[in-house]
Amino acid sequence: MKRKKNENSKPPFPNKNQKSRGVSQWNIAWRRFKRNKAALAGALIVGFIIFLAAFDALIAPYPPNATPGFYTGEARTPPSLKYLFGTDYLGHDVFSQVVYGAKAALFVGFGSAAIAMSLAVVIGIISGYYGGFIDNIMMRITEIFLVIPFLLILLVFLRVFSAVAPSGVGGLQTIMIMIGLFSWAANARIIRGEVLRVKESEFIEASKALGASRTRIMFRHIFPNVLHIIIVLTTLMIATAILVEAAISFLGFGDAAAITWGQQLQKANEAVKEAWWEGVFPGLFITLLVLGFSLLGNGLRDALDPRLRE
Amino acid sequence: MAQKEILRIENLRTYFYTWAGVVKAVDGVSLDVREGETLGLVGESGSGKSVTALSILSIVPRPGKIIDGKIIYKGENLLDKTEKDLQKIRGKEIGYIFQDPATSLNPVFSIADQLIEVIRRHQDLSKKEAIEKAIELFRLVEIPDPEIKIWNYPHQLSGGMKQRMAIARALSCQPSLLLADEPTTNLDVTIQAQILELMKNLKKKLGMSMILITHDMGVVASVADRISVMYAGRICESADTKTIFYKPIHPYTKALLEAVPSITAKKGKLRIIPGSIPNLITPPSGCRFHPRCDFADSICTSEVPPLLEIEPDHYVACHHAKESSKVAPKRSQAS
Repeated sequence: MKRKKNENSKPPFPNKNQKSRGVSQWNIAWRRFKRNKAALAGALIVGFIIFLAAFDALIAPYPPNATPGFYTGEARTPPSLKYLFGTDYLGHDVFSQVVYGAKAALFVGFGSAAIAMSLAVVIGIISGYYGGFIDNIMMRITEIFLVIPFLLILLVFLRVFSAVAPSGVGGLQTIMIMIGLFSWAANARIIRGEVLRVKESEFIEASKALGASRTRIMFRHIFPNVLHIIIVLTTLMIATAILVEAAISFLGFGDAAAITWGQQLQKANEAVKEAWWEGVFPGLFITLLVLGFSLLGNGLRDALDPRLRE
Repeated sequence: MAQKEILRIENLRTYFYTWAGVVKAVDGVSLDVREGETLGLVGESGSGKSVTALSILSIVPRPGKIIDGKIIYKGENLLDKTEKDLQKIRGKEIGYIFQDPATSLNPVFSIADQLIEVIRRHQDLSKKEAIEKAIELFRLVEIPDPEIKIWNYPHQLSGGMKQRMAIARALSCQPSLLLADEPTTNLDVTIQAQILELMKNLKKKLGMSMILITHDMGVVASVADRISVMYAGRICESADTKTIFYKPIHPYTKALLEAVPSITAKKGKLRIIPGSIPNLITPPSGCRFHPRCDFADSICTSEVPPLLEIEPDHYVACHHAKESSKVAPKRSQAS
């Protein structure tokens, strides 16, 4: 063939940068993500809260659980320069509490999402890939989890636990694990649906024809192709988990020893009229963080969706 | 011609159990591939060519099932093997090239990753050695600048490049048998010619056998040594390429050839085979071609014609093979 002449010749313009890697899907996604203002705002918000959580001891003017206003008669004082977000009925500095609450919110958010998404990914991929009997059983179990009134069960469980078990078991960790264990179902279904689509692709058949084993096909070939969905679901899952923890705490079933935004809301509840700042600021931060993760999730979905290629 | 057989399929039946009924996609196919030869498997869309090829590797997608037959590869029946053993044969002993290179490559991995995966699956090589091997394979399939191109992702390559890459992947472990399922159907004509030329050269260079599945008579004419013609899940005629083109016996083969345009034919319209390929859930009784056949009579509707050796190495499944062989095809001298 005529091409043979070129076989061993060097490229006309050797370019070091070009040699290393091609443009991967990640590069394309990042390029698209950068153009999306809302998504960038989301990332900024999330980054800001992570920053608060990471350096809380440095940022907060008072140590956790300190009541600087208690002995000076400064309980329930409105926001001032001394107390940026005011103080609550015990003289806690609301601003410090909000800063320390970031860690708890992120802990619950990321922890629950990690548990829920691991379950959802494994169940979704296995169910979708094997199909048939296994799929049937797994999806029925998933449906049971979908119809359970999950918040109610959580509340009952936490109340029973904190009454029966030694102290500490009903704490933030338990709440985080419980939220994770009860919210994988919807995500598993979405991932399964995506796997059903991907597994019919010819490249899956091709890797089968080239001798790949089942596990390999599932986790090496199908998984990266549904990863975009998983990332999006994870960010939204984080937001949901934060909201659920706030709700549990607000209802008074939370970890009383932990500083969380939900706990603060609950305490503020008694005196909304007299001290609005006690509730408004933690509430604002919950909203901000959930908004941040939602924007981030939406932006990621738009950036990672392979169907939207320009 | 006493070449050794590398693959022999006997009476293969692959059925699809769908809601609408049992689709008899492959219903009693027998064929053989000899060492170093290219067998062209020809037929209309839906005649069971691809399913036959997928059956060889036992990767028929659900709800398909191989229900009967033998697939003897190098003296061993592949249908008796366990899934684990089959995984070692797939890709290593038998390579497979898919129809559409755009979809048969995983979009999220670079070409190098996909080649390395197959190489390291079947050969005990370090990653570095595997990369070198991959570059070598790229040279083999004549991709320019293999050191750079190998790090590209599938969407960065053209259709022809992707198909070269798919060929490289199928060849990565030097298989003895290559199954090529319409490898040129989705490429434009000039690229088609290049790819066919490449496959021909590689086959010679590596000394493998090949089954080339296609509906394009021009493609088989230029590449295949022997041809098996399939219709509605059965083989209706098998012979060497020359015989098929110059002395076809089965009415379906003849009709197929008459439907191919040629440069030398003087005039006239192309023949159209009336009707379409039958529903494979309730296929016609007896010979499956009889509703569309000029020679059909009562025996054709009641009895399945066996695949008989009419002349040495020329197998035909037709009740009227004798009569049919006397009628010269109207216009197939070209090709």
